[in-house]
Amino acid sequence: MIFNADEAHNIVKECIENVLGKADYNHNKVNQWTAAIVEQSLTHLVKLGKTYKYIVTCAVMQRSGAGLHTASSCFWDTTTDGTCTVRWENRTMNCIVNVFAVAIIL
Amino acid sequence: MAEQSFPEMALLAQVVAEDSTEAPSFRTGGRGSQPTAPARGTEDSKPPPLLSRRNSILSRRSSFGMIPGSRRPSIGPWMFHRRVSFSGLPILQPILKTRLGNTYRMGPEEGCKFNVERVQRVLEGTLASALESTVYSPQGSAPLAQSLTELLQSRAKQVVPPRYKLVCHVVLGQQGQQSLVVASRALWDPENDSFASATFSNASLFAVATVHGVYFE
Repeated sequence: MIFNADEAHNIVKECIENVLGKADYNHNKVNQWTAAIVEQSLTHLVKLGKTYKYIVTCAVMQRSGAGLHTASSCFWDTTTDGTCTVRWENRTMNCIVNVFAVAIIL
Repeated sequence: MAEQSFPEMALLAQVVAEDSTEAPSFRTGGRGSQPTAPARGTEDSKPPPLLSRRNSILSRRSSFGMIPGSRRPSIGPWMFHRRVSFSGLPILQPILKTRLGNTYRMGPEEGCKFNVERVQRVLEGTLASALESTVYSPQGSAPLAQSLTELLQSRAKQVVPPRYKLVCHVVLGQQGQQSLVVASRALWDPENDSFASATFSNASLFAVATVHGVYFE
C-alpha cells in the first residue's frame, strides 16, 4: 500500500481554494482560516477510506517581502508512508500545507 | 561493486532505516527463513559473493553471466542490474515483505508513551543552541532548515520511546513586519500519539519546530 501523493495534492488544493479563495490577509480571521483548511483537508482525506493516520499542518503568512523556509524530516517506513506539500499564494498571502500519512496495520 | 544495482542500494538504505523501526525479534526470524532482502542488509555490508546458495533461491530465470568462471559480459547499461534476462533487459526483483511474529500488543507499554514535556524541552534547547547567533540569509537558510530538521529528529529519537514513528517539521523565516500562523491537525489515536512544538526568534529570524509522534505496532 503506497501513499498516493497526487490524490492528496488535489484534495488539499481544493480545500485551500474553498477557504482562502479571493480573501485578502486579515489578521483577525487567520486563525479561523488555518483551522478550516486543516479540518476540511483531514475530513476529505479520511473519506478516501485508506488505513492511514494523517497529520496535516498549515502555515499562512502575510506577503511582505520576507523569506520563509519550511523543512521536514520523518522517521518511518518509507515503503508505506508518504508526504505531500501544497504551496498556494495570492496577492496578499502565502499558504503552505503539508500532509503526512503514516500507515497502520489492522 | 559495479554489479550492485542502484535500486538495490536504495532498497538497502530503506531497509536499514526500516530496520530500526522493527522489533529486535525480527532479525533472528528473518535469517532462519528464506534469505530475504532485509536479512541481507543486516547480515553484511558488502555485496554477497556471487557463488552462493542465495543466487539459486532468488533467481527466477536463468541469468547471463552470473555463473562464476564463465565469460564476463562486457559493461553495458544493463550491467547495473544484478539480474539480467536473456533478452538483455533487467529483471527487477520484487520487494520481499518480511513477516513479523505477532506481539499481541494493543498499545505502548506502561510508562512508555510519548512524553510531551521532555520532547518540548529538547526542541527548545536544540533550537536555542543551533540558531543563537545565526543571521537570516536567503541562500543559506534553505540548507539550514533541512539540517535543522535532521538534527531535531536525531535528538528527538533519543528521548522518544521505541515503536514511535516521528514526523519533524520546521518553519524558518526572516524576521520582518509580517505575521504568521502555523496550525496542524491530526487524525490519530489520541491516547498514544501526540506532538510537541517549540519556537525561537532572534533579531533576524524566527523558527517554529514541531515533532509529531505516532505509535506503530
